[in-house]
Amino acid sequence: MENKIEISDLQVHYGDKSALNGISFDVHPNEILSIIGPAQSGKTTLLKVINRTLEFTPEATVQGSVKLDGVDIDTIGDVYELRRRIGMVLPLPVGLPLSIYDNVAFAPRTAGLRTKSELDEIVERCLQQAALWDEVKDRLNTLGTKLSGGQQQRLTIARALSHQPEVLCLDEFSIAIDPVTTMRIEDVLKTLQTEMTILLVTNLVQQAKRLANRTAFFLNGDLIEIDTTDVIFSDNPANQATYDYVNGTFG
Amino acid sequence: MNSMTTRAERKQKIVLQSITFVILGVAFILMWNVLIKTRVVSMQAVSAAPLPNAMPTNLFSDLYLVLLMSFLAILFGIACAFYLQEWLPETNWVRRLIEGLVAILTGIPSLLFGILAIGIFFSYAGTLKMIGGSPVPQNAEAIPVQHDTTLFYAEALTFILMVMPVTIKTTQGALHSIATPIREAAYVLGASKWQVLKRQVMPLAFTRILAGGCRAMSRAFAAAALLIGIYTWHYTTESGKMPGRFMLFLSGALFLSVLSSTLIETHRSSGRNTVNLPR
Ligand SMILES: Nc1ncnc2c1ncn2[C@@H]1O[C@H](COP(=O)(O)OP(=O)(O)OP(=O)(O)O)[C@@H](O)[C@H]1O
Ligand SMILES: [Mg+2]
Repeated sequence: MENKIEISDLQVHYGDKSALNGISFDVHPNEILSIIGPAQSGKTTLLKVINRTLEFTPEATVQGSVKLDGVDIDTIGDVYELRRRIGMVLPLPVGLPLSIYDNVAFAPRTAGLRTKSELDEIVERCLQQAALWDEVKDRLNTLGTKLSGGQQQRLTIARALSHQPEVLCLDEFSIAIDPVTTMRIEDVLKTLQTEMTILLVTNLVQQAKRLANRTAFFLNGDLIEIDTTDVIFSDNPANQATYDYVNGTFG
Repeated sequence: MNSMTTRAERKQKIVLQSITFVILGVAFILMWNVLIKTRVVSMQAVSAAPLPNAMPTNLFSDLYLVLLMSFLAILFGIACAFYLQEWLPETNWVRRLIEGLVAILTGIPSLLFGILAIGIFFSYAGTLKMIGGSPVPQNAEAIPVQHDTTLFYAEALTFILMVMPVTIKTTQGALHSIATPIREAAYVLGASKWQVLKRQVMPLAFTRILAGGCRAMSRAFAAAALLIGIYTWHYTTESGKMPGRFMLFLSGALFLSVLSSTLIETHRSSGRNTVNLPR
């Protein structure tokens, strides 16, 4: 089985400060891999390396390699194309200054899609998947920024799905979303698994337990342990720190 | 703080200080000129109490042109600000130099620029021609303000120096307020830099940029109004003499204004704190 993503000896520094200290692991195709770990452990940094948005942080330096389908992402000439292959849901929802419809149609349009019927179809499908369609279907032309915080977060999920990514990265997607809606989106993620690989950064260990095939535990820029979710959440994971964090007795 | 930052800071400080001294020098020379030459105008020509309709008409046609140029300068200033803010890194020396200049020039009230403009009109248009040999005419109707192209350019330059920095500063501020995390929302969808600027940054920053342009244009109009006002006063008052002390106080105002901007700028670049004195 080919790996979807291969990360080897990845080091990231912000200035002199190390954020990832040489981590290596693989992401299998069509798995849900959850990444857990306390604050400052480098989870967000890892996602930013994968879609090369860390390039917007001038003081950040990256060493090591990240391969997507066996190709080093640094050698991919069209970085915009790379970013469209990777869906990214950031922890804080940011609405584009556009209508709800145009928010979701943004990525397909930047990729060159113009056909109205196809755009309509994408917008409806993505809003459905993000559990937002029923709430907004009558006002697709109002500004996306007029939605509530939780609705905006679901709008960013719809946007991330709009360009049919191969890998979907979610960074603490549920902070602003109520538990019932979170459950609906979790169900969608499970069904999306057949189409794409999912990297789920989460502070809710129970969410990782519910969804993930495998779980990686990060701590202060180190990958402490990566294994099947069953093992990580069992009584005897390989590392004591993993057990303590998962069971809430950490620190 | 490591030694690199402090060295860069020191360099920037020296650059800023030298700019200040150059500007102050030029300002004093100009003011001195104005001071001397307006006296000449006042004593020899204007005391003849001319009629209002003696105002040279090409003052107005020149002013309209100058205002048009100011408008174009504002558009150019917006383009400059985009280039500085979006394409040059913060550490780039050209960007630092321009930002330092802008900080000083925006600190100068439009009133002072207005006076400078008056100085140019009065000293180089009226007097030079008069002092240069031909007998001083007895009424102002006979004082033609020569349509002198150098004069026009000097006038236009004054206005441009007044509107450009304000435009650059407000536009940069507007762009800066749309921080990287906001832009990342579009970048993660595969948008290019141009698409992000056009579809996200511009709509968000537009109002502030427009407001900055209006503020710059208001400076230009204020200076033009002052110019017309003083000109009229000068040609209609019996003793239309520009008191020397008037100019001295204005020089003082200019000096303090530049000094204050420089102090704020060096304070900010020393990395301690951001001070925003009300203007
Ligand atoms: N732009 C930045 N400049 C400097 N340091 C940064 C920057 N972004 C992150 N860091 C540092 O890198 C380390 C890892 O941060 P990161 O955001 O990846 O952690 P995280 O695991 O996502 O934490 P959280 O759970 O709080 O989101 C932290 O020590 C953080 O202070
Ligand atoms: Mg994070």
